[in-house]
Amino acid sequence: MISITGLRKSFGATTVLNGIDLEIRKGEVVSVLGSSGSGKSTLIRCINGLEKVDAGRITVDDFDVSKPRELAEARKRSGTVFQLFNLYPHMTAAQNIALAPVEVLKVPRKEAEAEARRLLQQVGLSERADAYPAQLSGGQRQRVGICRALAMKPSYLLLDEVTSALDPEMTAEVLSILANLAKGGTTMVFVTHEIEFARSISTRIAFLDKGLMIADLPTEEFFSEKGMALPRVAQFLSKMRKD
Amino acid sequence: MRYGDFTPYDLVLLLQGLGVSLALFVSTTLIGLVIGTLWAVIRFYRVPVLAQLVAFVAELLKNSPVLVQLFLVFFGLPAFLKINVTPTQAAIITLSGNSAAFIYVIAVSAIESVGRDQLEAARVFGLSRWQILRRVIAPQAAAFAIGPLTGLLVNQLQVTSLISVIGVMDLTKVGNILNLRTLKPFLVWTAVGALYYIAAKLVAHAGARFEKRLRAHTAWKGL
Amino acid sequence: MKFDLSIIAKHIPFLLEGAWLTFQACLLAIIGSLVFGLLVAAARTSASPLLNRLSAIYVDIFRNIPFIVQLFFFYFGLPEIGIYIDAFTTGVIAMSVAGGAFTSDVVRSGILAIDPGIIEAAQVSGLKKSTIFRKIVMPIALRASVRPLGSVFINLILTSSILSTITLNELTGSAKIVASQTFRPFEVYFVLLVAYAALTWFVSILIGMLHRHLNRNQAEGAV
Repeated sequence: MISITGLRKSFGATTVLNGIDLEIRKGEVVSVLGSSGSGKSTLIRCINGLEKVDAGRITVDDFDVSKPRELAEARKRSGTVFQLFNLYPHMTAAQNIALAPVEVLKVPRKEAEAEARRLLQQVGLSERADAYPAQLSGGQRQRVGICRALAMKPSYLLLDEVTSALDPEMTAEVLSILANLAKGGTTMVFVTHEIEFARSISTRIAFLDKGLMIADLPTEEFFSEKGMALPRVAQFLSKMRKD
Repeated sequence: MRYGDFTPYDLVLLLQGLGVSLALFVSTTLIGLVIGTLWAVIRFYRVPVLAQLVAFVAELLKNSPVLVQLFLVFFGLPAFLKINVTPTQAAIITLSGNSAAFIYVIAVSAIESVGRDQLEAARVFGLSRWQILRRVIAPQAAAFAIGPLTGLLVNQLQVTSLISVIGVMDLTKVGNILNLRTLKPFLVWTAVGALYYIAAKLVAHAGARFEKRLRAHTAWKGL
Repeated sequence: MKFDLSIIAKHIPFLLEGAWLTFQACLLAIIGSLVFGLLVAAARTSASPLLNRLSAIYVDIFRNIPFIVQLFFFYFGLPEIGIYIDAFTTGVIAMSVAGGAFTSDVVRSGILAIDPGIIEAAQVSGLKKSTIFRKIVMPIALRASVRPLGSVFINLILTSSILSTITLNELTGSAKIVASQTFRPFEVYFVLLVAYAALTWFVSILIGMLHRHLNRNQAEGAV
């Protein structure tokens, strides 16, 4: 379980997260929605310890991410996929995926490489295992990014606007993979702009606005009168649908 | 004066050496600036043969040790041309030529930094090549070149130390003399190094200030 | 006097011996510069303010003092504190220390140019700091630094001529001897100048090849 209580985070004078409580249990797919600048990405960056929190507590399977020793354990349990892929440019797709299993989990290199190829096959990239990131399209890079996160066999997958940098066709490639993962029971925290997709795969929707969590509802409820009763949510949904 | 000890006069000696170093630095930089810019203009006008020759000589000077250039001028020229070349003359010829080569390279890339569209626009207005060079390219190229030029000058200041090898009484030569007389190498070379360091910092500082002024001049100041 | 290169012919084996010494000194100094440079670059980009400060001071000092002064500092200074090493070793040490300052600057900017997102990806995947440095930061920074590092190393080759001033008969030192034996300094130093230029030209071609080889998979759209 990922448990977030009373999370506060500011950058200088700007408060980005202003007291967030959220729990993500195994098997859930929680989509985090909200307009740009609402603090969605910062939330993910707090969970994986890339940002230090100002107040509050985040635990991943009871490991407190604010403690360096426990952060290492917490990070082993969660995998992050980034908006801009952040692949290692000097390594092939397979090497990108196998690096952390070899170095962190001490999996023998041969085994890790074989696993990497198996993962790449699952996302339809078995032909590109030995290609370098610069030789891949955006959608292909992001699929490698997903494999890299999955290779660590994480209990939780953290997805930070993973399709924002992709054109619609590539977005579809990536989303279909995520849909498969959701069906397979992977726990996910999904920060996104893809409302319709979030609706189709999520068990729950969390809605952030100006650093506050103003809705945390099961998916059907969020998209029913209950969600629409919240002015900010209604406004957001109508605006996003118009776009 | 007991042989081996430092005397107050040594300080004067050091400052004299520094003066010689700086004087040669400034004069050869100015000569190098004129020659290097001239070479760049030759290239800009694509003067046949001369442009290629200039590029080749600059390449040769940039890619060979200054010490060897210095030996060629100081030992080689007198033997070859049967002329007299004093250490100071050799130093001025060598350092000027070396600076010119590097300034040529900076000037060429500064000229090339000015967009081709601007040149075409100027040509459409009927400006001559010389007018384009003076009115359009030169001001922009100067602003572009000042940064790399400052880096070069800091480097050329240090290069002057090599002329001590052919006997010019510069700061390094004074260091040599004091080193031999006092047998206190750490002290002597630290003092010499410190003086060079301060001079280098002053050059870098002056360059930065000059650049700021130049940029302030070209920057948009509003209406 | 006519330009006559044939006189040098019989001295070529002797000059080649000098060239061999230059080659050894440069190779060792390049290795030394890389070792110093990488360590200092690591210190300069580390989270420790003290290491930051110390490494910045090292770079600042050795970049702003002429190499010949540094060389004399070591050559005359080390025996004073009881360290007796030969001219060759002294030269290699001095070149490594000076070259290290320049190398660290290049590597440092290579490190600072890395997309922070790439480092974050490595961090969240649980890699240790040392692993990230070895497997991610260094390979990326060094690939990006091949060309500027090449310039540093070419400069080092040119700088090695200064070792002739501490009695080391490397290429320039040997040429001095040949010049005084043949009484043909112009021819000798001219050949020497061309030889150095050819050598650095050759090295720069090698560096270009290395750069293309190491970055062959990094170009966008390359398949």
